[in-house]
Amino acid sequence: MPDIRVERLAKSYGKQRVLDEISFTVRDKEFVTLLGPSGCGKTTTLMSIAGFLTPEQGLISCGDVTFLDTDARVNVAAERRNLGIVFQSYAIWPHLTVAGNVAFPLKIRRQNKRTIKARVAEVLDLVEMGDYAGRYPHQLSGGQQQRVALARALAYSPGVLLLDEPFSNLDAKLRERARDWLKQLQHDLGLTTVFVTHDQDEAMALSDRIVVMSAGQILRVGTPEEIYREPADRRVAEFVGLCNFLTGTVRAGVECRVITSEFADGIAVRGEVTDGADVTIAVRPEDIALSADPGAGPEATLLDTSFLGDHYQSRLALGDVELIVHTSTRPDPDALHVHIPPGVATLVT
Amino acid sequence: MSTVVTVDAPTGIRARRGARIPASGPQAVVWIGLVVLVVGPLLPLLYASLRSKPYYLPGGVFTLQGYRTLFDDPAFWQAVRNTLQFAVLTTVLSVAAGAAFAILCGRTNLPGRRIYSTLLLAPVVIPPLGLIVGWVAVYGQSGYLTGLVSRNLHLPVWNLSSIPGMAVLAAAVTIPISFLTCQSALAGTDTALEDAARSAGAGPLQVIARVTLPMLRPAILNCAVLIFALALEVLGIALFLGPPAHLDLYASYLYKSWSDSVVPDPAFVSAGAVLLLVVVSLLLLVRNRMLGAEQRFIATAVRGGGSYQPLDLRRWRRPLSFLVGAFIVLTSLVPLLGLVLMSCVKALTTLVAPWHLFTSSNWHQVATDVTFRRSITNSLIIAAVGGAITVAFVAVATVIAHRSKFVLRRTIPPLLVYPRAVPGIILGIGFFWSYLMIGPGAYVRNNLWGELIALSVRNITLAYVVIYPSLARINEEMDRAARATGAGWWTTTRRILLPILRPSLIAAFLLMFVTILNDYDPVVFLQKPGTEVIGVTMLQYWQQGVVGPVAALAVVQVLIVSVVLGIGARAIRSARHA
Repeated sequence: MPDIRVERLAKSYGKQRVLDEISFTVRDKEFVTLLGPSGCGKTTTLMSIAGFLTPEQGLISCGDVTFLDTDARVNVAAERRNLGIVFQSYAIWPHLTVAGNVAFPLKIRRQNKRTIKARVAEVLDLVEMGDYAGRYPHQLSGGQQQRVALARALAYSPGVLLLDEPFSNLDAKLRERARDWLKQLQHDLGLTTVFVTHDQDEAMALSDRIVVMSAGQILRVGTPEEIYREPADRRVAEFVGLCNFLTGTVRAGVECRVITSEFADGIAVRGEVTDGADVTIAVRPEDIALSADPGAGPEATLLDTSFLGDHYQSRLALGDVELIVHTSTRPDPDALHVHIPPGVATLVT
Repeated sequence: MSTVVTVDAPTGIRARRGARIPASGPQAVVWIGLVVLVVGPLLPLLYASLRSKPYYLPGGVFTLQGYRTLFDDPAFWQAVRNTLQFAVLTTVLSVAAGAAFAILCGRTNLPGRRIYSTLLLAPVVIPPLGLIVGWVAVYGQSGYLTGLVSRNLHLPVWNLSSIPGMAVLAAAVTIPISFLTCQSALAGTDTALEDAARSAGAGPLQVIARVTLPMLRPAILNCAVLIFALALEVLGIALFLGPPAHLDLYASYLYKSWSDSVVPDPAFVSAGAVLLLVVVSLLLLVRNRMLGAEQRFIATAVRGGGSYQPLDLRRWRRPLSFLVGAFIVLTSLVPLLGLVLMSCVKALTTLVAPWHLFTSSNWHQVATDVTFRRSITNSLIIAAVGGAITVAFVAVATVIAHRSKFVLRRTIPPLLVYPRAVPGIILGIGFFWSYLMIGPGAYVRNNLWGELIALSVRNITLAYVVIYPSLARINEEMDRAARATGAGWWTTTRRILLPILRPSLIAAFLLMFVTILNDYDPVVFLQKPGTEVIGVTMLQYWQQGVVGPVAALAVVQVLIVSVVLGIGARAIRSARHA
């Protein structure tokens, strides 16, 4: 399967810059997610790869085929890029049956009837929709339509699969099932996949690597673990999961500590920084420990607690800052000394 | 996912090269065709208005003489004055009644409001000339009801052959426009605004006066300009009702000057046509500015006002419902009955009971007379072939305009909308000249094709108005999905978009068929012996004083239209199901 290279992609609508010279690579057989809030440019990027939008500048290539090269004035038409795409609305053609939808790409490629029939049956079995070949789209549920859309995208065995928020029209339970199923399928077929979503859970569960975008720029590229544990950028930490931010000054020593107005003893952090620099650190709510021991850290006051099923989420006031803390039991109002263990805090910019 | 399936090589199944038509070629052909058809008839008209002699005579020069002759003619100024009075009166009556009906049917608990909403649209599908003949038969100077009231009851009576009389008829015909415009504006506004006024203590009348009507103001202004522009080009009403009072409107003045002129094809008629064209175009341009581009074609979503309680008319419910019902009966049903009656009697008069005058000779004449029979077959051929060709052409042009990267695509919507803004008689004069001046015109000048082209171009806008909203509702991901699987623009259009559009293509064809069958003003100057169509034949026979057979022909037209619409409604329903 081919890899996808995107280099210095730029696009503006009027004065608004929607893509600001972004570059990334999707490796062979890799599942890469473009993650970000709406309007961050992720769908623009995907549609540029698909060929439905033409950026003003940049290079897009797939394997050894150049799709777009603005310098060399190369721009391959969408219909010649041989990609499989699943759209957010699924875009199942209402005038064709399920089999008709899946057969369309093969008819365009002038395959003979027997090949088409065999391949349609094969692909529909693959998405577990073999029994629905004769149905029309309006007779299908949302989840079934999504499978048909996927079957159609896979019909002519493209090496690359592009997915534009394919789960956003499904209800929560079905979404989870569809997610597992897609992951398995992608793995079995070894497809190079680019996936667009604003749902961080989806991104975490599916991706080999995540590209976090905001306002037309790439903030961070990494595996789900890297993105979560070392967000590096405050906006990434904010977007992926909940996060507390503290500001302070670095005191280098045996271990690197950050002194804040709340934590006079400092907080041990990972990463290299210069002594005396003013920095921001990020701490995840589940990494904060609460204890009755006054020696553990400064004491906070409890603002409120909500029960969220598998954990409790509490808001604490500590000096001028507000901390969000996740605990497995309801916090004891008498045991609110805040302790940040070494190694959980990470520097962000 | 337990099924493991082996999948082909990474490259996938490649598209075969070379079998694809580049999209821009056919797109350019369609665009050029559209420009020729729409602009084609107007330039020769302008040219003819500026020449001293008709194009086919030797030795003409460029001159403004045509315009001078026109301005020196007192009859011209009389026609202008008449037309302005007529248009103002028509607009006021039509808009007032249309808005009132829309509010009554859309916002109150008027009994029968649903069925009234449909019946009020009847004048749209009744052939206009048939309706005029029906009105004349019932309310004209020697009409049946006129006679009944004046001779038998000795009451003062109306005069349909006057400016106010003609305006009442024109208003009755145009009320569907103002009704529909106001109705859709009401449907698109949130009833919570009115509910808020009621909870603030306003009674039903106050709510209508203070909230509903002010909200309708843009819609009222919009349809007023449209109806005024349409009233300026009215031809049939003036030709049927004007003669007893020697009244002429602008279009009938042009028509008569052209037909009665001693010099053939006089330049001053072309000059008059150019002037009217400029005025109407400017009016509609102003209207488009007010509306903001093409937004008007997109159906406004009706908000789910679940808690909405219609305004209570209380003791006025029944009287008002009776009035609306009586209006529909008097303006649509009674004239239709009068038309049918007229087609079956020697003369329609209150002096002798109709059954004593019963005759089948009118129908016999329609069935045997060569001209009548030929106009029916010609009209059917033109409506069917012209309708089909127009819908196919407009469908492709609409897809190019809204779903392609064709360089000049943005010029297509105005080109498709403009022909409807050109007064029919002017388009007719324009085509007359262009068939004479433009080389290939000779091939269509003397046969049905000439009329077919004029009638189709005149009504191209209607097909666009039906097709475009349906296309706009098709998610663009539908065509992207086809492109992504390897289909080019033309394949996507042919195999995906047009099939999805099928219900609205059928609807557009029906509308085109009915409108072309009913239309007449673009071809009054193009008709030759052998190429008669129903409308023009009716006009010409009526002017010779032939009444009964004309009524019978109008009834035939009404029957064809109702049969076609009946079958069509079913076809659309089954197409939607598929």
